[in-house]
Amino acid sequence: MANSVNMSVKLSNIIFKNPILAASGTFGYGFEYQKYLDLNMLGGFIVKGLSVKEKKGNKPPRIVETPCGMLNAIGLQNVGVDRFVNEKLPEIKDLNTHIIANIYGSKEAEFVEIAEKLDLEKAVSAIEVNVSCPNVSKGGALFGKNPDSVFNLTKLIKSSTKKPVIVKLTPNVEDISLIAEAAESAGADAVSLINTITGMVIDIKAKKPFLANKTGGLSGPAIYPVGVRMVYEVYEKINIPIIGVGGIYNSDVAIQYIMAGASLIEIGTANFINPDITVKIIKGMREFLSRENIQSVSDIVGAAHSM
Amino acid sequence: MELKILENIEIASNIYSLKIDNPALFDVVPGQFFMVKINGFDYPLLRRPFSVASFEDDHIGIIYKVVGEGTKILSDKKPGDFIDLLGPLGNGFGDVEKDKKILLVGGGIGIAPFIYLKNVLENDYKISYKAFFGFNTKDEIYIDFGEIATIDGSYGFEGNVVDMVENEIDNNSLIFACGPTIMLKRLAYLCYEKNCDMQVSLESRMACGIGVCLGCVIETNDKDFKRVCVDGPVFDYKDIAWQTL
Repeated sequence: MANSVNMSVKLSNIIFKNPILAASGTFGYGFEYQKYLDLNMLGGFIVKGLSVKEKKGNKPPRIVETPCGMLNAIGLQNVGVDRFVNEKLPEIKDLNTHIIANIYGSKEAEFVEIAEKLDLEKAVSAIEVNVSCPNVSKGGALFGKNPDSVFNLTKLIKSSTKKPVIVKLTPNVEDISLIAEAAESAGADAVSLINTITGMVIDIKAKKPFLANKTGGLSGPAIYPVGVRMVYEVYEKINIPIIGVGGIYNSDVAIQYIMAGASLIEIGTANFINPDITVKIIKGMREFLSRENIQSVSDIVGAAHSM
Repeated sequence: MELKILENIEIASNIYSLKIDNPALFDVVPGQFFMVKINGFDYPLLRRPFSVASFEDDHIGIIYKVVGEGTKILSDKKPGDFIDLLGPLGNGFGDVEKDKKILLVGGGIGIAPFIYLKNVLENDYKISYKAFFGFNTKDEIYIDFGEIATIDGSYGFEGNVVDMVENEIDNNSLIFACGPTIMLKRLAYLCYEKNCDMQVSLESRMACGIGVCLGCVIETNDKDFKRVCVDGPVFDYKDIAWQTL
């Protein structure tokens, strides 16, 4: 019975076999998870955020656990776009799933350079843009906090690649819908939300912030109600697909995101705890839909809004 | 994988011995670890890394200290309960050169992997070694071999284990070490001074244990970061930037 449920989802020109993606920064470059699950089972996965040049990341301590969550300040450690293309992509390019590249930069030109390079790679299905990083040419304010910066950046990236562009939004803003609307009007094919929520833990014996970076991004089950609320709000304001992310650790929470308005979802921190959690969530969603006599997952996108 | 708990008892002050059914699916090298999920999914969220204290046909043994809420919950588990293990993970202690003078140096809960290493040295390598272990106080002693130092002098040598072992180390020594960072750091400086070899097992906070979260990195002498979970936890002490720890 469970197999009769239609789990496929379309985003721009891409058809995903199911709406489950592994989130950037929690899934390495994909192949690290090969011994724990069949990657071909996934709708897709989003590789670790890529910068123009290799980045070593922040000094440790980089993570600390919090109630039902964790705070991280990895500092976007990655091999850089060239090494990704030459060393990592060949290991995953033949998989029967969608590979999405997450990119970030400290100025617009860097995003453009990476997007242009990835545009040449057939194995990359789409580009997800991390706008939760400081814009050095604008005094270090995050790109993602300002609708104009998001608009300009999205427009530039759209003109640098033919691939679908997903803008990943930060929740650390006054009104996330405004930012989502800016991305939509600049031509974004989708938005993903939420990125981590900025937080701090203090080591009371040392009398200083626990993380070397002082602040970090809060993730894990603790944040899912914030993500669901924001997806719900954004869904009422834009018409492009939403990818829901933030604290999803089982199929019930995944379904909540979909009913809030997400067409696809990303699993992040939960991958650290159970490397095969994505597959379990796919199975759980399928069972839920089958039990509820829902034929296609797309039938319940935004279902919570009809009340 | 969900495995059955066979035994979970306090063997010294706040120190517990956990024995888990061995599914006979893998081999374990001394110094390797498991990521253990203590409870249902959300709290405590992250798995806890524990090194292997014994590995026999009928069980996997872990010795842990109750230090926080996670290990407190673990200490309440009963035989017959199931627990979720991921592993074995990481690189354990490497090759033993037989012409070297082997020294095991451990502190506190970091002594646990040496119980398994002792077995392998005696039964597989069939070579002799000396062991030096440090505890804060007599109540915390949970092993029955090696020379013991206690900080408060309540048992054996009074002082820390590095002071006790110092005169045993020469340039032909090969040390296997595990324990608090401060102890390992002193030991590392001593090894540089005596120009000997040391394989050291490090501890770090980790989220995944499989090399992807990049949370557990330590700085290395080539100005790079290495992941304790997959590049270690056992390292050549000369690779580590000790001044940063």
